[in-house]
Amino acid sequence: MDFRFEIITEYMPFFLEGMMLTILLSVVGVLVGCILGFFIALGKMSPVLLIRFPFTWYINFLRGTPLLVQLFLFHYAVLPALLGDTTAVTSVIVTLSLNSSAYVAEIFRAGLQSIDKGQSEAAHSLGMNKFQVMRYVLLPQAFKRSIPPLGNEFIVLLKDSSLGAMIAAPELLYWGRAAASQYLRVWEPYLMVALIYLVLTLSLTYLLNYLERRFDVK
Amino acid sequence: MITVKHLKKTFGDLEVLKDINVEIKQKEVVVVIGPSGSGKSTFLRCLNLIESVTDGTVTIDGQEITDKKMDINKLRAEVGMVFQQFNLFPHKTVLQNITLPMITVRKWKKQDAEAKAMELLAKVGLQDKASVYPDSLSGGQKQRVAIARALGMEPKIMLFDEPTSALDPEMVGEVLEVMKQLAKEGMTMVVVTHEMGFAREVGDRVIFMDDGYVVEENEPIALFQNPQHERTKAFLSKVL
Repeated sequence: MDFRFEIITEYMPFFLEGMMLTILLSVVGVLVGCILGFFIALGKMSPVLLIRFPFTWYINFLRGTPLLVQLFLFHYAVLPALLGDTTAVTSVIVTLSLNSSAYVAEIFRAGLQSIDKGQSEAAHSLGMNKFQVMRYVLLPQAFKRSIPPLGNEFIVLLKDSSLGAMIAAPELLYWGRAAASQYLRVWEPYLMVALIYLVLTLSLTYLLNYLERRFDVK
Repeated sequence: MITVKHLKKTFGDLEVLKDINVEIKQKEVVVVIGPSGSGKSTFLRCLNLIESVTDGTVTIDGQEITDKKMDINKLRAEVGMVFQQFNLFPHKTVLQNITLPMITVRKWKKQDAEAKAMELLAKVGLQDKASVYPDSLSGGQKQRVAIARALGMEPKIMLFDEPTSALDPEMVGEVLEVMKQLAKEGMTMVVVTHEMGFAREVGDRVIFMDDGYVVEENEPIALFQNPQHERTKAFLSKVL
C-alpha cells in the first residue's frame, strides 16, 4: 500500500486550523455547559414539583435524543426561527453547550447529593442561611468530587464536536473529509484526523490528572 | 429559657415525639437519656429547628421559634449544636472551621474572628492544630474543635447530640472534660448522652424519654437511685 504523505503535508495547515476550531468549540461548550448545568442542577433538586418538572424534561430530552439530531434541529429549525439566520459554528456551539449542560447538571447534582447531610445540618445549626451553606460548605466539596466526571464529559464533548462536520462547521473532521473527497483517498486524511483527536484527548487526560492531584480529589 | 409545649413530631406515619412538655432554666444542665428510638435526638433537633416541628411550640428566650415568621437563622446562631458525627467541614482547616460562621453570619472581621478562634482553641487545648485539616485529627480532637466552632457564635444555649457516642473509649474523657468546664462557666446545656457518669456529675436534671414521651424527670441522684416508673427502672437496670 502506498501512503501519500504529501496529502497530509498539503492539508496540515487546514488540519491545524480545524483543530483550533475543535478546541474552541469544546472549550466554549464545556464552559457554557458548566454554568448552565449548575443552575439546571439546582432547578432539578427543587422540592417544588412545578419547578423541578421543566428541568427534569430538559435533561431527559438532551440526554435521551442523539446529539446529531439535536444539531440538525438547532441548525435548520430552532436557531433560524429564533435568530432569523445562523452559522454552522454558532449552531455547533449552541448545541454542544446545551447538550453538555444536561450531562453537567447530573454530574453536579450527584456531587451535591453525595455530600453528607450532616454538613448542611452543621452549617445551618451555626446560623448560616441557605445561600451561605451552598456557597461555603456544599459547593466547594461537591465541585471537588465533580472534577473526575467533568473531565470525562469534556473528553466526550471534544470528540462529539466532530459532528459539526455534518453541517459544514470547518472543524477538524470537516477538513479530513475535504481532503478525502479532493484526492479520493481515505487512509491518509482520516488516520491523521484520528491521530490529532487522540493527541487532544490524551493531553486533556494528563491535564485533568494533574488537576485532580492539585485539588487532592479522593 | 427554653419552654417546650405539646411538641409533636411525625415522620410520615411514624410518631416520634408524641407530647413533649419541658421547661429548661438559664444555666441549667439538662441531660436527656432513654433507649434508642425513644425520640431524644429528635427532641434535641427540634430545639434549633434542624428538624421541623409537626405541632406544638418551642419558646427560647421569650421568642416562639416555631412561629413561621421567626428568622430561623438568627435563632440558630444563638443556639450552638454539637453532633455525634462531628460534622466538621473537611475542606477547611481547623481555624477556618471556627471562623467561617463568625465571618459569614456574625460579620466579624477576619483578624478578630481568628483571634477569637485561637482563644477558643486554647480553651479546648488544641491551639497547635489551628492550621491542619480535620482529616488528621483524632475523634476526640474533632469533637473538641466542633465544640469550639459552636462556641464561636457565642451561643446562649448549647445542644449536644450524643457527643461521645462515636468516639473510642479513651477519647471520651477529653470531650466530657471540655463539657464539664462549659457547665461550670454557666452555659445552659441540653445533652443527649449515654454517659451516666456525666449525667450524675454535671447534670442539674435528668430527663428520661421513652416512646416519644418524657416518662420521668428529676435530679440525677434521685432519678438514678429512686426511679418512679417501671420503664425508667428497666432502662436504668440495663445501663447502670
